[in-house]
Amino acid sequence: MSNKEKYDQIFMSSFEVNEKDLPSLRYQDVDNWDSIGHVKMIADLEEAFDIMIEMDDILDFSSYTKGISILKKYGIGL
Amino acid sequence: MESGSKSLIGKTAVITGCNRGIGKAILESYAENGATIFACVRKETKEFSTFIELLSEKNSVSIIPIYFDSRNLEELKNAVKQIKNSKKKIDVLVNNSGIAYNALFQMSSLDKLQEVFAINFIAPFVFSQYITKLMVRQKSGNIITISSTTAMDADLGKSVYGASKAALICMTQVIASELKEFGIRANSIAPGLTNTDMLLCLPKKFIVNSIDKNKIAKPSEIAEKAVYLASDASLHITGQVIRVEGGN
Repeated sequence: MSNKEKYDQIFMSSFEVNEKDLPSLRYQDVDNWDSIGHVKMIADLEEAFDIMIEMDDILDFSSYTKGISILKKYGIGL
Repeated sequence: MESGSKSLIGKTAVITGCNRGIGKAILESYAENGATIFACVRKETKEFSTFIELLSEKNSVSIIPIYFDSRNLEELKNAVKQIKNSKKKIDVLVNNSGIAYNALFQMSSLDKLQEVFAINFIAPFVFSQYITKLMVRQKSGNIITISSTTAMDADLGKSVYGASKAALICMTQVIASELKEFGIRANSIAPGLTNTDMLLCLPKKFIVNSIDKNKIAKPSEIAEKAVYLASDASLHITGQVIRVEGGN
């Protein structure tokens, strides 16, 4: 599975959304992406990519596309 | 309390500030109860290395030393990385490290206020943020903080120390509320006067009066409660503060 596929999979399973909705998805757009869902999604990303995301980046992680640029900082190309 | 029944076999615990006082007693009790332990202290010393080596052999448990200054964020993050890289499931975090400070409100300096809060509150706050991220992934975990009865009792000279411990209690109870859905529980032990180096910062007259009233606890008495809270015997206890003080 590619990094992009892993990333998408985590979003789709965490927030119960379809692939076509991902590019425009933002924090709190859907019920499951609340603060608790956010914590869980970050934990899943850390596990999947074996990284530790900084607190500032967790707070800055405001959308699907923003997440892609944040993961680049950790050497994860999507 | 089941100190003789090895109630922590199969559990892995992270303990901060465990080279002396209550933390050292918790380290000993957890080893005696069969836990695997990440023993976090500020500096590597021959004395501590020998101590954990002997403790590990005596109880046939693994004790992994982790060295970091909790005020240094980079060192703290490296400590978390070491723990994370072990790939062990972290069952328990005991936030014990702290410093004492005794000064009247009007005599408390800003420097000490910042130092006490940095060590007693901000460091365990940030460390818990990182460790609970590992626990969220596991969908289980257990946070124990060592606070103080001064957080609730408005003791003279404790406006800074007591406030830092009150903040720690608040953090503990909020963790219990926010992370319960990830199977994480959190409790605080609030010791009263305990026979550790921290006693030395109190006025002699106060200590003598407390001895007369038999109110000074042994560190092992606090450690027993920490074993209980880490064990499955306390599975349904969360968000609580347990006072260990011998009565008012």
